[in-house]
This record gives sequence, C-alpha cells and structure tokens, in this order.
Amino acid sequence: MSQLQVRDLQVTFGGLRAVDGMDFDVAQGEILCLLGPNGAGKSTTLDLICGKTQPTGGSIRFQDTEISRMLEFQRARLGIGRKFQVPSVYKELTVAENLSVARSMKPGIWHALTHPAIRRSSKMQDILDLVGLQDKMGEPAGNLSHGETQWLEIAMLIAQDSRLILMDEPTAGMTIQETERTARIFRSLSANHTLIVVEHDMSFVRTVADRIIVMNQGSKLAEGTIQEIEANEAVKTAYLGH
Amino acid sequence: MNTKLSYDIIGLTLFAGVILFGVPALFSYDGFELNTFSRYLSLAIVSMALALSWGTTGLLNLGQAATFGMGSYAMAMHLKLKASGDGLPDFMGWNNVETLPLIWGPFQSLTFTLLAGLLIPAAVGGLIAIFMFRARIAGVFVAIITLAFLVAFQLLVIEQQGLTGGQNGLTGLAQLVLFGWKIDIYSVSFYYMVGGCLMAALIFGLYLTHSKFGLVLRAIREDAERTRYFGYNVANYQTVIFCISAGLAGWAGMLYALVLEFASPTYMSVSFSLAIVIWCAVGGRESVLAAAVGAILVNLAEGRLSDVFVEGWHMILGVMFLVVVMFMPRGIYGLLVDAGRALRRKPASTKEALPFDTPLNPKQES
Repeated sequence: MSQLQVRDLQVTFGGLRAVDGMDFDVAQGEILCLLGPNGAGKSTTLDLICGKTQPTGGSIRFQDTEISRMLEFQRARLGIGRKFQVPSVYKELTVAENLSVARSMKPGIWHALTHPAIRRSSKMQDILDLVGLQDKMGEPAGNLSHGETQWLEIAMLIAQDSRLILMDEPTAGMTIQETERTARIFRSLSANHTLIVVEHDMSFVRTVADRIIVMNQGSKLAEGTIQEIEANEAVKTAYLGH
Repeated sequence: MNTKLSYDIIGLTLFAGVILFGVPALFSYDGFELNTFSRYLSLAIVSMALALSWGTTGLLNLGQAATFGMGSYAMAMHLKLKASGDGLPDFMGWNNVETLPLIWGPFQSLTFTLLAGLLIPAAVGGLIAIFMFRARIAGVFVAIITLAFLVAFQLLVIEQQGLTGGQNGLTGLAQLVLFGWKIDIYSVSFYYMVGGCLMAALIFGLYLTHSKFGLVLRAIREDAERTRYFGYNVANYQTVIFCISAGLAGWAGMLYALVLEFASPTYMSVSFSLAIVIWCAVGGRESVLAAAVGAILVNLAEGRLSDVFVEGWHMILGVMFLVVVMFMPRGIYGLLVDAGRALRRKPASTKEALPFDTPLNPKQES
C-alpha cells in the first residue's frame, strides 16, 4: 500500500502549466528523489503536496485521505513536514524554543495554554545530542553559525516527527563532507519516515534515492532506479538537448 | 527559559514592591495623590494588553482604545443608572428619549456590567480578528483595519447621542458599590484595588508568555508561514490573543471610568490609541511588565511636564517616541536585556562554534 498517491495533479499559474498531469505513488519508508531541469515543476510539486499552493486539478491522497483541498496546517497535522530551500529557523527564539515549537504533536490552543514553553524530555535531549547542539540550548538561533543552523533545522524535522518529509534542496551550499553526513542522516530517517527530496547533487541522489522521478516541463519524463534513469535516452535529451 | 522566568519573577516582585508599598509610602498614604497614580495603573493594564498582541504576536492593534472605551462605557452606564435612581439618565431627556433603551437595561446589574466590560470588548476584538486572520491579513494591514474600526466606532458613539451621551459622554456618575463596599476613589483601598487588578493582569500575562501558547505566538511573530507547516492553526492563535488583549483593555477601561468618574468618546480617539502604542514602545513591547512600566513612566512624565509645558507636551511625547524608535527599538526593556547580556558575556570564555562536519554523535561514529 502506498502512503502517498498523486493522480493527474495539475496547477496553472496565469496560463503556465507548472505541473501538468503528474502521477506517482510513494511507499511507506521510501526515499523518492525528484530530478529535472530548472522550471520543471519539482518545487511546485512539493508545494502542492504540503499545501503552499492549491492545485487546479487532480488528487493527492495521503494515507487514504484526500488532502488536496486542505489547508497547510491540517496537512501538517496529518503528518506531512516540509523543509524549505532557505534555512527557516526562528532566529529570535533559542535553540530549545525552536525545538519546542517543532514538537507539535498536539498543536491545539488548549494544550499550548496548559503547558510550559519548554519541557525538558529525554527525547529532546537525544535530538540535541544527535546534532551536537546540547551546549547551545539557551542561545538564540540567530547567533548560530551557518552549519549549526542546518543542524538545528534537521533537529526540528526530527522533533516534528512527520511521517512524510518533503525536502527542497537539502544539501544546497554544503561541502562534500556535509552532504555525505546529511545523506547518512536521511538513510537513518527512512526507517520511520518517508522522504521526497528535490535535489541537484547527483552523488547525493545516488547515495540516498530508492527511486527517482525525472520531471520536465511539469510532467513526469522518466521513473526508476538510478541505473535505469542514467541509461534513459529521454532524460539525456531533456538535459543535453539532443 | 528558566532563567528568563526567574528574571520575570524578580522583576514582577520588584514592581509589586514599588507599586504596592513604595508609592503609597512616598505619598504618605494620601488618597488624593494616590488617585492620580490609580489612573496610571489602569493605563498600565491597557499597555500590557497591547504588549501581548503587538510585542508578543507582532499584531499592531491600533484599535486598542476602542475596546478600552467599551469597558469604560460599560462601567459608566451602570453608574449612570445608579445615579439616576428610578428615572432616566438626564442626557436621554435632553435627546427626547422617553424610555430606557433596551441595551441599557441589563447594566442595572453589577455582575452583568463586570462581565460585559470584559466580554463585550473580547467578543468584538475576536470578531474583527476572525475576519482578519482567517483571510491571513498581516503586518501593516492589521494596523490599518484596526485603526479604521476605531475611527468608525468613535463616530458611532458620538452620533448615537440618545444612547451614549454623544460628545459629552457619560458624566455625573454614582459611586460604585462592590459587595456592599461603597468605593471612594480618593481612598487608599481604591488604589490597592486598582493595583491588585494590575498585578493580576501582569501575572496572567506572564503566565501566557511563558506557556507554550506564548512560545507559539512568538514563533508566529517571526514566521507565521513556517509555523503553519508545524500544524499550528495560526489564525486561531492570533484570534485568541486578540480576544484576551481586548478583554484586558476593556477591564482597564472599567477601572479608568471609575478613576475619572466619567466616560468620554475621547477614550476612543486615535490620539489615545497611539499614546498606548507609545507607552508600550517606550517600556518595551516584548515584555508585558516593561509595557506596564512604560505606561506609568510616560504618564508620570506627562503629569509632571504638562504643568510646565501645557501645549508643548505633545511635542515632547513625539520626540520621546522618535528617540525610542530610532535608538532603542526594543524600549527600556531592550536596553536592560542588552546591558545584562554584555555583563554576562565578559567572564564567559569565547567558545569556538562547532563546525558542520564534526562527528554527529561520538558514540554512533566509533
């Protein structure tokens, strides 16, 4: 049974068909990579799944629930998490506060009113240990270095514990070592989480992807394992123009 | 975090000490002097209420004076009815109103009045909030809509002379009788009642800001979009804090009507609403306590300086606001926080930041 089913998904921006009839399934625990040239509709596909953009047609089913008309916070409550291209931590909040916001299994107001801003739990401590930020708990996130900010964002994704995580270019601006380390975290995440990743770095894609979908001009061009994709003639044409 | 909480508790204790013991002692328990201070304390409540919506959540409510005014009119209507005995309030006769208007009836009851002064502003604030925040209106547009509401509401109150006393407002009020205690506003006990209300409001405000609710509000202030992707219904959070803020403003309005012994449409004027913003900014909008202190300090300065510079006072207030906006955008509170941080920085060793490619977890790596 697939966790996410996308059928004939479409969105039009002022006459431009940004996503045009996408069909794909993602299984529980799978890492799916979306590839394609600029403007192929990869990020837009993620936007459609997480609710940032409303589709003009088609359906998105997540765990047997139609979500394509839901608001983004309702989708987040069902278990869809999103990491954006630009680092988006709360700079004015401390590291611990950032993690506390991310721990949102109970996002209701009554729960929020009757609980303290930060609760020290062993799970929180484990996450901080994992990313090496345990000494920075009280530090405003704006004071962190670029690398630490990336770790904090990953920590927040783990704290949010979404069943489906959508990532937009997670390794952009990273060094080779950083990319490798991120790939290792992704592989460990996929035990409990499903991931859809938009990425350009082919070595990263080779390491993490269970399956790849290549997009071109808003629709699916090819689908398969890394070997199948690398041998695909249509993909070569789309990328090289011949 | 815990250190923040302990600072806030120390701050609140000091503040309570000054307000409940220092000030009365300074004025040698003179009721007439303390009455002026009661006025400042009631204004401190409306300022701290604005800090909840503006400082904590990032929603600049320029209509705060409207909900404040509703509270003051609720209280004044009750007292006016008490003053009129069995007859109609005097101004109604001047406006050819022959029977008591329907909405005045329930204000005979003190319980209803106290509830109405709190809940009507909260409901109105909530209603405006629902329309704004469901539509995801943010930033400067919140200020514009709330300001427009304020102007419209003030006009309505002035126009409905037969109901509200129009431009004159409600004057000639009776003394409030609370549980058989006839409140003399020039007594020390009245001062303590207002002071008690302020302390209760501050404790409530500090509780909110230190709860997860307050944390989510601060997250919304920084990045509402991101907060939605964590599953928080941002519009509901914003609506609830708007309600709470409006309710507190109404409560402050009730006390204000008691202190001044009348209610007037000037309480709902644009300049009054902007004054609240200035108090809040001078004290520090990020902290409810600082916003309350700001209201007291600015009003204290106004009380002293406006005797000397009768017309020039507004100029001084304007300059004060400019200075705050340009040189200390976080107010007195921000200066204190920065000073505290600078003091603590010195002894601490400058620890190198962890590079991104250091081992994640030594135990796992080995």
